[in-house]
Amino acid sequence: MDRECALLLPGVCAVLSGSGSSLPDDTSLEKLLDWFTGITEAGGSLLEACPCLLKLISTVVHNAASDPGVLSFALRLTGLLAATEESFETIQEHSVLNEVFNLQHWQEAGLWEDPCLRIGWIQGLRSMLQHPKALSFFVQSEFIDPLLQLQTDTSLFIAAAANQMLAHILLFFQPVPPAGCKGVDTKEKDDGMTPSSTDYTAVVKSISGYLKESLVPKESKNVRQSLQTLKLLALLLAQAGPPLRDKLLQTVGDSLEELVTAGSSELTLPLMDVILSACSSSGTDERITRLLSSMLNINKPADLIHAAAAFLRRGQHDTVHTARAVRILLLPLDIMTGQTLLGTISTADEHQFSVVEQLKSKSSCISIICVCLSNTPQITLTPPDVLPCLPVSIVTTVLSLLKICSGNSPSSSTGCSEVSRNVIGSGKVQKCALEALTTLTSSPGAKERISEVFTVLIQYLENPDSDPTVLHKSYQALLKWTSVCTDFSFITDQLRHDLVEVVKKRVCDMRWEVKDSTVEFLGHLAGVCDSIKAAAEECDSSEALLGGCSTTPLLREALQDSESYVRASAISALAKTLTHRWQQGATLTEEEPEIVSRLLEILSQDSEGFPRRAVVQYFISWYSSHSPPSSSSSLLMQSVRSVLSQGRADLDWEVKVHTLVLAELLLDEAFSGHPGYKKGSDSHHAPPHAYGVVSEQAYTLHTHTATHTEGAESDLAVVVEQGVVSVLLSGLVDCDRPVALKACRLLITLRETVCPLSLGALDASAAMATVSCELPGCGWGREIIKILKMKKSDQAKEEDIADQRGLNGAEEGADSVCVSVCEALRSLGLDERMEVLTQSSDHIHNSPLSLLQDILTASATHTKPGEEVIVDCY
Amino acid sequence: MKLYCLSGHPTLPCNVLKFKSTTIMLDCGLDTTSVLNFLPLPLVHSPRLSKLPGWVSKDGSANLEKELKECAGRVFVDSQPEFCLPERELLDLSTIDVILISNYHCMMALPYITEHTGFTGTVYATEPTLTIGRLFMEELVNFMERVPKAQSATCWKNKEMQRMLPGPLKDVVDVWAWKRSYSIQEVNSALSKVQLVGYSQKVELFGAVQVSPLSSGYSLGSSNWIIQSHHEKVSYVSGSSLLTTHPQPMDQSSLKNSDVLILTGLTQMPTANPDGMLGEFCSNLAMTIRAGGNVLVPCYSSGVIYDLLECLYQFIDSANLGTTPFYFISPVANSSLEFSQIFAEWLCHNKQSKVYLPEPPFPHAELIQTNKLKHYPSIHGDFSSEFRQPCVVFTGHPSLRFGDVVHFMELWGKSSINTIIFTEPDFSYLDALAPYQPLAMKCVYCPIDTRLNFHQVSKLLKEVQPLHVVCPEQYTQPPLTQSHRSDLMLELQPPPMPYRRCSVLNLPHRRRYERVYILPELANSLVPSEIKPGVSLATVSAVLHSKDNKHTLQSVPKPPPVAPSKKRKRVLEEPPAVLAPKTLLSGAVPLEAFLATLQKHGFTEVKVEETADGHILHLQAEDTLIQLEEDGTHIVCDNNEPLRTTLRDLVLRFLQKL
Repeated sequence: MDRECALLLPGVCAVLSGSGSSLPDDTSLEKLLDWFTGITEAGGSLLEACPCLLKLISTVVHNAASDPGVLSFALRLTGLLAATEESFETIQEHSVLNEVFNLQHWQEAGLWEDPCLRIGWIQGLRSMLQHPKALSFFVQSEFIDPLLQLQTDTSLFIAAAANQMLAHILLFFQPVPPAGCKGVDTKEKDDGMTPSSTDYTAVVKSISGYLKESLVPKESKNVRQSLQTLKLLALLLAQAGPPLRDKLLQTVGDSLEELVTAGSSELTLPLMDVILSACSSSGTDERITRLLSSMLNINKPADLIHAAAAFLRRGQHDTVHTARAVRILLLPLDIMTGQTLLGTISTADEHQFSVVEQLKSKSSCISIICVCLSNTPQITLTPPDVLPCLPVSIVTTVLSLLKICSGNSPSSSTGCSEVSRNVIGSGKVQKCALEALTTLTSSPGAKERISEVFTVLIQYLENPDSDPTVLHKSYQALLKWTSVCTDFSFITDQLRHDLVEVVKKRVCDMRWEVKDSTVEFLGHLAGVCDSIKAAAEECDSSEALLGGCSTTPLLREALQDSESYVRASAISALAKTLTHRWQQGATLTEEEPEIVSRLLEILSQDSEGFPRRAVVQYFISWYSSHSPPSSSSSLLMQSVRSVLSQGRADLDWEVKVHTLVLAELLLDEAFSGHPGYKKGSDSHHAPPHAYGVVSEQAYTLHTHTATHTEGAESDLAVVVEQGVVSVLLSGLVDCDRPVALKACRLLITLRETVCPLSLGALDASAAMATVSCELPGCGWGREIIKILKMKKSDQAKEEDIADQRGLNGAEEGADSVCVSVCEALRSLGLDERMEVLTQSSDHIHNSPLSLLQDILTASATHTKPGEEVIVDCY
Repeated sequence: MKLYCLSGHPTLPCNVLKFKSTTIMLDCGLDTTSVLNFLPLPLVHSPRLSKLPGWVSKDGSANLEKELKECAGRVFVDSQPEFCLPERELLDLSTIDVILISNYHCMMALPYITEHTGFTGTVYATEPTLTIGRLFMEELVNFMERVPKAQSATCWKNKEMQRMLPGPLKDVVDVWAWKRSYSIQEVNSALSKVQLVGYSQKVELFGAVQVSPLSSGYSLGSSNWIIQSHHEKVSYVSGSSLLTTHPQPMDQSSLKNSDVLILTGLTQMPTANPDGMLGEFCSNLAMTIRAGGNVLVPCYSSGVIYDLLECLYQFIDSANLGTTPFYFISPVANSSLEFSQIFAEWLCHNKQSKVYLPEPPFPHAELIQTNKLKHYPSIHGDFSSEFRQPCVVFTGHPSLRFGDVVHFMELWGKSSINTIIFTEPDFSYLDALAPYQPLAMKCVYCPIDTRLNFHQVSKLLKEVQPLHVVCPEQYTQPPLTQSHRSDLMLELQPPPMPYRRCSVLNLPHRRRYERVYILPELANSLVPSEIKPGVSLATVSAVLHSKDNKHTLQSVPKPPPVAPSKKRKRVLEEPPAVLAPKTLLSGAVPLEAFLATLQKHGFTEVKVEETADGHILHLQAEDTLIQLEEDGTHIVCDNNEPLRTTLRDLVLRFLQKL
């Protein structure tokens, strides 16, 4: 804790000891507590550093007029302070603990009704219970019963906190297990902190007794209690060591059995959680295995399916039960599609009958089928001896379900028609099935069905009633299946023709979402094709799929679209489509200059940010994948110059950041051979904006073999001439922090390369000094000049008077000015700037000092009403 | 109540309802699918069509070279197209009192019914139905009359001949009943019998029933009809739509509590969702234009075209089609576009509110103003000088057998960059294209049928809960081509009554009540007595007077005082004296009280025996039985009239008299 804060703290304590109603805002106490927690976790002793806190606690607790919020704060603070054994004793000496956590006191004062206080009580105790002495205190104070009561508190937060707390007590203090047992933090146990076994036994006894009692709901309104208890049990079983686990299972075994037999739908999933937790920790406990078997045999089809799905999700490796769960999940699909997945159905006919009945109701049919579908990929990955059919027949089933959904299935192949009509046209099932189909690419033998998959997916793309999400998912599935495909001989001319036609049609769709997905698909397809090409040179999937139909005209058309997202997607799709040509250094096609001019037009004129960002990205990928020298180089360099100058002046900060990335590529190229140049110095840049159009391709940079050890100044001159330095300088004074930060980093890299401050490089920098760049007399140029002028007057007032005069002139006449690049780089104070920029913009307002000051100021204003206080709260 | 079904076409119905004493024809649809068997009527001489070979049967026995032409393996009649009329033999059409028209598509057979059959009744329709229906008829007459066909083929209709014909011609029935188009005079005469009605307006028919049109949401002025008497209600549901298109939304609630609901005019394309089809239409159109091709849209001159134009109005800009011209060619194009703008009260709410703004309700006005949409009466004249390609042409007739569309088929059919987009659901597109084969032009079928689908109709029926539903038999089973789609049929409890052409259905509804008025003076003379709280009864003696299906009870006229006559009484000729009616009894005899009364009157030895229906009281001393049953009391005593009378009076004490 720094000195300033330590000085302010007593004053703050005094404020809080008052009524506490004068706090600047309701998060102050939380922030204060966070700060204290931080200090404690860093190993500092709060009690020593600020003895005033103890006084604060006792004053607050005794003050009948204390605000419940402040009281809750005091409770939690006490717990925090008492978290170590040493300070616990100190506090105990002041007999504060008994008063603070005295339930009876709070109840009598009528404050217990306030949920604020109850949660404070739980959290305070929770922080404190880190050592055996605290446990003894807890047990002696007989807090266990009230805590158990809070487990079913009306407030969900309190109930959850109580559950966590109960689990914490049992797990944290459980006796040190033999080495190698998972789930228990043994670090502190080694310090000889074993709790007295009587305390722990008492706690275990009461909690497990409670579990046993409350597990089975006595009346329907007690279901919530059972639910909470099951949650607690699942928490415990997942982490308990063998002695505790066995003890728990022994106690609650009967109750669990009773619950399983009762078969309450509401409790199915939490009950399954408990049983599965028990299974995974206890292995082959016969009783648990029996319970699991019963769960996978319950009578209600919907519950059963959820239980089976929960079982599979856990990834258990018990063959018998896995086989059972698989059958349960496949049965509805079997009924629906008439595909004999389960062979001749051997499960009791009664069960099948009840599933059919359930499936006849539309809503439950859709939900059941969706659960089954989402588990199919998992099912195909189970061992073959567990599967009742080949994994590939599951792919077939999903395909025939997709056909049923679109109403295209011929009558002979469907199963029960009363059931299958429920899913006809259901978008939800279609989406689920398409997702499943996408994931099923990885299942064994799936590739056998690829031709059928393509046919169905193309039908979906063709279907006029498919909604945009369904179309999007169809495209994704098509891409995924294309990416795993190595042999395209299955693609017939008809299939190819259909796909080309449907894509052509969909780029003209009425709905922009559909146009967008289609354009995206074309881009991704080019990407997939490239990666396949890399693997096997001879096959070209784009060629195979689209049959030589060039997608560029479609994408160029999309550049004119009225929807900005579509324009943006079209731009990045074009980049992906052309990447391969760029990499190969292919000659410039006729259409490329036209595309470039359209892109530059978008960059300068488009009113939306997305397409402009995409344009800069386009040039980034072009620049990073082109292989000079090629016929396209001059067009590229010419356009990069325009992009830099336009991107620099853009209003959108992301466009500016992308422009800086492009500038960085140019720097990399210019200086990659230079010994002092550190490439990728900006590697830890901020993650891309969620809405930004970012090409997935990493910027792979080609390194030059030519050495650049000499003539760095000519490189610098080139970079200046390209406009890179202007981009960096204008970025530096940008009001958007990410832009300024990136520019600053790049400028520092440049400075380290061309004019390092180390002495050895002085000679080189002398030559460098001759390279200069022009600053415009207005806008960012003026800002830079201002900074330079300020630095100059600070450092060397007498020097360079002539130059200074020049600078003054610039300010007056708004004419452009030439400055030496090195000079500028050194005089801009980049390092200080960097320091400021790396801190988040609200770092001042978030400091503890600021918090303490706020509290004090607010209280001062409160005592002197009439004065308004403006609190800066984000 | 009887229903005579004169048309088998589910969306072009023609039914006759006999209800109470009225005979009402419900719609008057003309089945035009018969024209598909004829060769197209070209506007300018078509060398291709004129060179088609005549048809001769394989063995050469039948030679109809002049009448039948062969094209791409199919045989067509080379004559003016003919239509399949509603059945005219099932009942005497002159007995029809009124014809109710539900929309302009369902009135095209009107001149055939109202003219030359002795029809003397009235036709009821809404104003837009009459106006647009007239446009449709005029267009049809114009299409036929501007390219008169010299010959009229009849030999092929000969039964012996027809049996030898190939393909669909062999199987068509009733060919002798097929008729050529009517003349403009017949149209005018038929339409002069139309009387205009507004939605929810009640029209009294002979005092027997009331008919009233309801908005059906399908097209401008389209209606469903309610036909009701005081105690019965029949709903007639024809082409209806729940989609938000241009017409006023459908009035569903007024259909509630029907005894019988006659359901026709569901969508012909149950698997084609109109929104999806509209999307298909737009994207195929854009795709063709971008590739430099022309788009031909065969369509009717009113209806869906308004929605298509509205949709394109929004789509043009987003698809960069701004400069592509759109042509609408029809003899009635101008009237159709203009009339649509003035029927404000018949439009959906959204469009109605535009009436108060300076902009017209439909955006096609703006398309016309900005020269994006141009309309011409035919391809001759101005159109030929302004025609610019690539373009989009909307023109009729959707059957591709007559109208300007024939010309464009000949013009564009050979090039694969052009596209024909079918949007009207009335004709199979493959049959429509048959005489143009081989065809290089791309064909897209996106039928837009906004009428109710099976899902919507079952929801509607669940809500309005009619007692009985009558519908075409096609709706009671899944479509032939998709027999597994059990969701594409009507499933109701009780099951709907299916009909087909020439069916006569006895509707299951029995009339049980009739409303009768009582004149005030008669009512004044009644003496009601309360038999239980809230229910009073009175006996009435009156004369029932019936006129114009209205029934009135009047007081019995007092017999004129008979002048004393010395003549011998002629007993037989005297009108029977009006006897005072016997009093009516009601109530039940309470056992305990009755026993007490018997006791009081000296019947002491009473043995009570309980039976299934009541009690038997045995008066032992008198050897008499009294049987007390729910609906009767019997006193059995041997020849003891005084005793019986006493006992009767005792029983009567407990009963109420009217």
